[in-house]
Amino acid sequence: MIIVALVLAAQVAVQDPRFERLDPDTRLAVVAMIDSARGDGLPVEPLIQRALEGATKGAAGARIVAAVRRLTVDLGTARTALGTNASGPELEAGVAALRAGATPQILTRLRTVRRPPLTMALSVVADLVASGVPADSAAAAVLALAPKARDADLVEFRRAVERDIALGAPPGAATSVRLNAGASDVYSQGAGPGAPQPRAHRP
Amino acid sequence: MRTLALIVLACAADARLHSLRSQTSAQFEGGFSEVTYDGFLSSAAFSLAPTVRWDHPRGRGFIRLRGTYLGFESGRHSLDASLNGSWFTPLARQWRGELGMAAGASQYADIASFSHGQVDARLHRMGRDRGIWLGATLGRSSFGRGARPATVVAMGLWILRGDKTMFASLDRSIVGDTVYTDLRSSGRWSTARLVLEGVLGARVWSRGGGRGVFGEGSATLAVTSNSAVVMSAGRYPTDVVSGSIAGRYVTVALRLGAIGVRKRSPPALPGYAHAGGADGSATLGEMRLEVAVQQDDDVRLTLFAPGATTVDITGDFTNWQPVPLSRNPGAGDAWGGTFRIPRGIHRINVRRDGGPWLAPGGTTHSTDDYDGEVGVFVLP
Repeated sequence: MIIVALVLAAQVAVQDPRFERLDPDTRLAVVAMIDSARGDGLPVEPLIQRALEGATKGAAGARIVAAVRRLTVDLGTARTALGTNASGPELEAGVAALRAGATPQILTRLRTVRRPPLTMALSVVADLVASGVPADSAAAAVLALAPKARDADLVEFRRAVERDIALGAPPGAATSVRLNAGASDVYSQGAGPGAPQPRAHRP
Repeated sequence: MRTLALIVLACAADARLHSLRSQTSAQFEGGFSEVTYDGFLSSAAFSLAPTVRWDHPRGRGFIRLRGTYLGFESGRHSLDASLNGSWFTPLARQWRGELGMAAGASQYADIASFSHGQVDARLHRMGRDRGIWLGATLGRSSFGRGARPATVVAMGLWILRGDKTMFASLDRSIVGDTVYTDLRSSGRWSTARLVLEGVLGARVWSRGGGRGVFGEGSATLAVTSNSAVVMSAGRYPTDVVSGSIAGRYVTVALRLGAIGVRKRSPPALPGYAHAGGADGSATLGEMRLEVAVQQDDDVRLTLFAPGATTVDITGDFTNWQPVPLSRNPGAGDAWGGTFRIPRGIHRINVRRDGGPWLAPGGTTHSTDDYDGEVGVFVLP
């Protein structure tokens, strides 16, 4: 088994010179995990990038291995929630949403209410949470918009919320207000990034 | 209202108060309001609000059904319906139990409706002219298809002094991951024809629930035995459980039907559970990234870094190799580079003058797995 792993590691390392930036022990562990992930049908490029990110940032080998392992687990969780047909970017966005606080059930529900790709919708959930919106509020907002809104509409929604937050609005209130204010005007009419910015209006 | 019902129950020996009770009563209220919901411009609105209430003959409980139609000058409208009630156990020494329920739904414009359902239990220690209570509420609050658990723990007290009643309460609400605490005091003074009510409160210790002071006041002037003029104004906080958005209002209304002690509900715009709290500010305002898709997978990254002498960028699109950016001609603070970046979600870090790797403004900041932070952006 060890020999096989060493051979595999050596083969991948030969095939992909990027692994030369990892020390031998780390390279061995990472390559083994990546090979396992590939066998499970998970996208491996995000795993490679996560290892390279650690190398660039001077992380210890154990940290890099742990980061790759964690990402492997999260990608698996995202794929279970989003389905086996989910693309690599969708799974990466799913991981971002999960790490932001969304539950696998939310990802599954999003898959049922919106046609793929779900990358942007999932990213907006993560972005809203990063802006201070509670995770379940962010998820509820995106789920409410998801059936009809285009990706550009979701981006505009996120921008509007972030703008309101920057102006001092509580994040969740900004989400709620933008959801209500824009649902019947902006989002259902497909305003894109080039469209006029939504303004406060009468209820 | 439930506390008022309890006070009536506490004073059941008082024939004057007890005589006000009737088994079934109905009211219809129509009025005009000037409302300013947070995030909206102010608007005139008219309201129609029927209410039916049943009271146990001996004051052991009540059920109330209320509907509200609000028409705004924009032509949009909101609908709200609520059902709530309470049942009180017999007094055992000075203790009384209460089991309550509440359910409601609201709808505004053409967005998904809001609904909630909850049950609550309270334990009251009753005095003839004062009382305290502890309570807990469990339920669910839903916006569209998304439901969140709602839990409220609360405590309060009331004091009755002749025709004046004073209340104070402290409650902690947990709706999903939104939590907040409301401190609330209120007073009520009633005469034969006039009822004055006021509320002053503050929302504190909030994560996602917003913060601030709120207050409302109302005056109900009985015109005849079956009609009254109600004037009210104030500011109320967002109700995460029922989904109403915070706002200010001034209302004049005519109430027809049984005229008694009622606390007027503010005109609430259905929304969905709200939040608040974090500042959401960028952590690296002096370096900001702009992303411009050119053609195919070519993407122009521009980083604004005032005062920098060198700027490096790294990310999953460079295999995390540091790449120096070039200063844009004619724009001293702008640095740029063109990269082949496929659609999808990407991670990026930048540094200036050989400093630490940071997440630039213009991206979503996220903790990385290496005790630092990383910027995340999406190419649609």
